[in-house]
Amino acid sequence: MTGNPYQDDRGNKDATIANPKGGGEMTPAVGTGKEMNTTDAFLVGDSMTGGYGKDGPDILHDCTIAVNPGEIAVIVGPNGAGKSTGMKAVFGMLNLRQGSVRLDGEDITSLTPQARVAKGMGFVPQVNNIFTSMTVEENLEMGAFIRTDDFSDTMEQVYGLFPILKEKRNQPAGELSGGQRQQVAVGRALMTQPKVLMLDEPTAGVSPIVMDELFDRIIEVSRTGIPILMVEQNARQALEIADKGYVLVQGRNAYTGTGKDLLADEEVRKSFLGG
Amino acid sequence: MDFLNALVALSNFVIIPAIAYGSQLALGALGVTLIYGILRFSNFAHGDTMAFGAMIGVLVTWFLQSMGVSFGPLPTALLALPFAILGTMALVLITDRVVYRFYREQKAKPVILVIVSMGVMFIMNGLVRFIIGPNDQKFADGERFIISVREFKALTGLKEGLAIKTTQGITVVVAIIAVALLFWFLNRTRTGKSMRAYSDNEDLALLSGINPERVVMYTWLIVAALATTAGVLYGLDKSFKPFVYFQLLLPIFASAIVGGLGSPLGAIAGGFVIAFSEVTITYAWKKVLKYMLPESLEPSSLVQLLSTDYKFAVSFVILIVVLLFKPTGLFKGKSV
Repeated sequence: MTGNPYQDDRGNKDATIANPKGGGEMTPAVGTGKEMNTTDAFLVGDSMTGGYGKDGPDILHDCTIAVNPGEIAVIVGPNGAGKSTGMKAVFGMLNLRQGSVRLDGEDITSLTPQARVAKGMGFVPQVNNIFTSMTVEENLEMGAFIRTDDFSDTMEQVYGLFPILKEKRNQPAGELSGGQRQQVAVGRALMTQPKVLMLDEPTAGVSPIVMDELFDRIIEVSRTGIPILMVEQNARQALEIADKGYVLVQGRNAYTGTGKDLLADEEVRKSFLGG
Repeated sequence: MDFLNALVALSNFVIIPAIAYGSQLALGALGVTLIYGILRFSNFAHGDTMAFGAMIGVLVTWFLQSMGVSFGPLPTALLALPFAILGTMALVLITDRVVYRFYREQKAKPVILVIVSMGVMFIMNGLVRFIIGPNDQKFADGERFIISVREFKALTGLKEGLAIKTTQGITVVVAIIAVALLFWFLNRTRTGKSMRAYSDNEDLALLSGINPERVVMYTWLIVAALATTAGVLYGLDKSFKPFVYFQLLLPIFASAIVGGLGSPLGAIAGGFVIAFSEVTITYAWKKVLKYMLPESLEPSSLVQLLSTDYKFAVSFVILIVVLLFKPTGLFKGKSV
């Protein structure tokens, strides 16, 4: 309960008069109001402490996540470790009480998510990440909404990365399969030509074969020079393609290292990768 | 047996009035469906928005008439329509600024906005009656008929006459133009697509850099134009009386829900379904049956299923049947 009388949920299940579908639930973060300086990563969420709501309990505790140009950084960890929360904190959807978020040396801790998109961050949410009633092409067009220049080149690039989308360009995105939807979602985020791409569990709910294909695509995107920060459930596969891995436990950095190091680490293997 | 006369009688009393009424309902339902899709609540003030728009139309028409301006054979109200639309746009934008925006900032749940819209409805209702009074107002002028009963009889030599009122012709033509413009806007323009995107997924629209306040403003502008057009057309066709628009809310909502809330195509289909049902069920079929049946079977009563007083009951019944068997409406709108 938020205690806000305007958000009382009474009567909202009656869809004859109220439309609960597709409404916004995102609340932008307000920042800590403190300047902080640490290392020089391209995108870094630095010693972040914070939780949901104005005074909800802290979920992240002094957690640091960073990604450098040309890298794939992966956040893994057990359920409830705060993986997605860490991602949201970097994107400005969580109230930080401490720490800072910096993009290319610039402090963006107090920016709203929209403003961060304008700064060059591309974000693919875990769910509801496409416009289901619109065609694939319209999804991509909406991805490029903030661009005032001609974006047909970028659209061709996206179609080059995801050929299946070109084939289905005039089909409503909601009619596509799970893997194809994820491709639309990533494609939409790429339309702004972001300086960094953030993926929240891109392989959630797709079959192992589709998952492998998606990982291949993600590597391809990374080869175009875009740094990628992603949260993954499938820790082993994710760490295999990762340049940098972050293992979070209860909102804290438990292990950090290159993907290979973490895979080789006895303790990480035992506790998180099933031996 | 006389098919031709039966067909003419049917067209005269059922088909043509129902098409005109259906067009008016469709325009009204389009406004309701747009608000439901984008602002996510059922706008009960829609009927009175129509009344307000029609009222300005009436006032400007009177002014133009007093200045001696006329539109030839067409009603002067068509000249007044753009002014009426501008006036209604101003009203809804002020309403949004003063009332709805506050609740949006609070992220109020849709059901609260519904109740708010009821308050707005009563205020608009009072405003209209305060300005123009609660009585019937006539403002139609120009040629009354495209084709009158006498002309038709002379032309065809049939026993039955067929009349097409100018207002009926105009209603259909204007409705077709308005709907074509709306669909072009929603499907082809960047702003229209951003409105659909916002309706589909507000968070993702925000992440794509779509400005919600901009989308909401365009929605109100379009809704004002649609509501005014529907209101003026209805007033021309019947007559202008503030309370009638308040009652129109029911068939309009029935149309939007039958078609599928949030689906513009459904709103149009729903409008015609409701209009045809209302007209056919409240029509006295004696005249048509007289031509269709042998003399021995000729009905002695009027063969009217329901008195016209009950026409709103028809919308209710259709609404309930659709909600029972196809809750998402004919065109797969949002489930209700």
